[in-house]
Amino acid sequence: MRLWKAIALLNLALGVGLLIGYLWWGREASRLRQETTLTIQAGAAALEEREWAVRGVVRSVIPEINVLVVTHEDIPGFMPSMTMGFRAANPKLYAGVQVGDLIRFTLKGVPPNVTIVAITREGKS
Amino acid sequence: MSMTALGLCARWTHVGAGVFLVGTFAFLLLAGRSDRLTVVAWERRLTRWTRWAAGLLLLSGLLSLSYQAAVVTGRSEDALSAATMLRVAGATQFGTVWLLRHGLLLLLAGLILLREREESGWDWAAFRGEGLLLGGTGLGLLAWAGHAAAVEPGGLAAAGADALHLLAVGVWLGGLLPLALLLRAAGQEVGADARPFAVLAARSFSQISLIAVLAVAATGIWNASNQIGNVASLLGTRYGHLLLLKLGLFVPILALAAVNRLRLLPALSGEAETVGRPAMRRLASFVALESALGAAILGVVILMSVTPPGRHAEPWWPLPFRFAYPPPHDVAGAGTRLLVGSQVALVGVLGLVAGWFLGWRRRLVVGVAAAVLVAGLGVALPPLAVEAYPTTYRRSPIPYQAASIADGRHLYATHCAACHGRTAEGDGPDAAGLPRKPANLSDPHVGRHTAGDLFWWLTRGIPGSGMSGFGDRLSEAERWDVVNFLRTVSAAGRARGLTAVVEPDRPWLVAPDFTYAVGPGASRSLKDYRGRRLVLLVLFTLPDSRPRLGQLARNYDILQTMGADVVAAPTDGGDQIISRLGASPRILFPVVTDGAREIVAAYSLFQPAAWRSPPTHVEYLIDRQGYLRARWTPDARDWAEATGLLAEIQQLNQETISVPPAEEHVH
Ligand code: HEC
Repeated sequence: MRLWKAIALLNLALGVGLLIGYLWWGREASRLRQETTLTIQAGAAALEEREWAVRGVVRSVIPEINVLVVTHEDIPGFMPSMTMGFRAANPKLYAGVQVGDLIRFTLKGVPPNVTIVAITREGKS
Repeated sequence: MSMTALGLCARWTHVGAGVFLVGTFAFLLLAGRSDRLTVVAWERRLTRWTRWAAGLLLLSGLLSLSYQAAVVTGRSEDALSAATMLRVAGATQFGTVWLLRHGLLLLLAGLILLREREESGWDWAAFRGEGLLLGGTGLGLLAWAGHAAAVEPGGLAAAGADALHLLAVGVWLGGLLPLALLLRAAGQEVGADARPFAVLAARSFSQISLIAVLAVAATGIWNASNQIGNVASLLGTRYGHLLLLKLGLFVPILALAAVNRLRLLPALSGEAETVGRPAMRRLASFVALESALGAAILGVVILMSVTPPGRHAEPWWPLPFRFAYPPPHDVAGAGTRLLVGSQVALVGVLGLVAGWFLGWRRRLVVGVAAAVLVAGLGVALPPLAVEAYPTTYRRSPIPYQAASIADGRHLYATHCAACHGRTAEGDGPDAAGLPRKPANLSDPHVGRHTAGDLFWWLTRGIPGSGMSGFGDRLSEAERWDVVNFLRTVSAAGRARGLTAVVEPDRPWLVAPDFTYAVGPGASRSLKDYRGRRLVLLVLFTLPDSRPRLGQLARNYDILQTMGADVVAAPTDGGDQIISRLGASPRILFPVVTDGAREIVAAYSLFQPAAWRSPPTHVEYLIDRQGYLRARWTPDARDWAEATGLLAEIQQLNQETISVPPAEEHVH
């Protein structure tokens, strides 16, 4: 075979290799993207009752609507640390709780519908 | 010989062999075909060399990989472990690039070894073209295993420029050796048959190499500015020094190239015995010298590849002075001198250009113009020169944060206040007995010294002033804390005029970052709000601040809707502060229980007269870029009604962003 023909074939092979590599890479990327969305959906679909023990500081007690506003630490798998209101399962739970109290409370429910089912006071802040 | 030296030698051989191959194939293509005996002998010799080069290329490539394996794991015995080498090849960017390159290089070696007789012009061109293609790609891809690919952002552009740099170096530097061989062969008596071929080849190589050298210079400058960034890193880091060495080797190469092009090349076709052949032999040795210098440059480049780039290293400034504009100290008449001097220098530059192009009495004109230029610079520059120290361009390793400033403030009170005064105005009790009056550190000029200057004075003292160094009493981190504190003090001096009215589009006062926590919640920092929300930082004292806090609490939802958040820090440290605030009014914005002391210590500096009587209530409005834009105290009317505050927030919301975000470290 003539040398130049061999070289032309070689370059053709390299070019095809490059093309295949590029296409494979593109497919791999879209597959990864799909998997990520699936995982996220699967995570969101976990609709089962859960329970957390969380620490927080009481910012406000609103008996009229049965809500306790708490600045709380991270709630793993549910929400990061923030200030927000939670409904209490029954008004007796927060009898005696005052603004500024450090509390440890138990949250229970199917996210996002969770309620406080237990409270212990730990100190003041 | 140590492991590192071996590894670097391997890399040097690798790059050198690659450059040689690219240059040789390019040169062979460029020189064209000839069946003169001397030329054929020369080509045969080159082919033999390319075989060696290809072997060396693969061998040194393998050694580089084994060196990298030892570098990655940090154990020298891993250099011989095939398993580690495989892992490095499979799992790192270096490895991916390595595999790709060596695939191509294997093909190249196969091409060279299995080469048959070329029967047609097509074969001839295909062989050389393919050698150039494979070798060039293999060389260019090296850029993706080096510093350039790590540039953020724009790594692709930087690596692309680096690849072009490598290719141009290959075509130019790698072509020098074949050229030298050809010229030497043709310069001998028996090689007379190759002379016309050699002259033509030298001419066309001269054209191509001019383009290649220009490309090398352009991409080199671009790369260097990516990796170095500023003069301090050039003069003050190891990487910068290596770059200077590289340039130092490049200059004689350019000079040689210029002599070759302007003097020797035209002489080649002169009368054989007296002019042509001697010129050819001289050219051959000059070209060989050029390529030796080029090999030395490659060595420097290899050293640079294992040295952290200048922009990541702390520069150690080597000169006793630097130029600063505007100068930190006002020198009488500096402005006039600058104006006059720069105009004179400009005349000098114009003279140089004119003299060069006019050609009329060139030497005289150029000489006079150069003298005028020097004189102009001599007038303009001296007022701008300020003393500099090795640490002048050091960057603070301690971020500009409230906690650091608070520590610095505390250290200042114990170590410096005796001389510089409790309020930093230079009027401490010990000031009287000193040879020189202690500086007023709240003066804006202190802000014009670099952070590194301040650090140097704190470490070594100021000779002859009575201020001794604190290098033995304060740790390095503590000295940077004091520097951060001094920065705040001089910024606060400039911020005396800050009011409750936002000055539109003119952010300049950096709000020190701070971290805080509310109860057991995760700690947050001011920077978390960057680019997203405005922050109203409230320093408050109970019970005086209670009505104002109530007012803010009532308007909290409006403030939030308008993109502002409130962070309230108690001036008394905040023990049980949320309990003390009580249930009514209902306060839901963050009230700092952890970190308040540092915030108050740092931010109260931005309050005039805060030194003498700490503020009871003050509010700062911080924009989304991290700049402090307005300050309010209850004795001013502006924000007494919530609408006043909301108007300023609205003003900031409408602002177009004109400055980069506030820097994390002082300079
Ligand atoms: C023994 C007295 C003394 C003490 C203690 C002292 N200084 Fe000084 N400092 C001086 C004097 C005097 C000068 C003025 C030097 C001059 O004018 O050249 C000075 C100058 C300075 C300057 C240079 C200001 C400028 O713009 O040129 C800085 C910065 C500084 N001091 C910071 C500090 C800090 C920070 C401390 C504490 C860690 C400190 N000094 C402790 C006496 C003192």
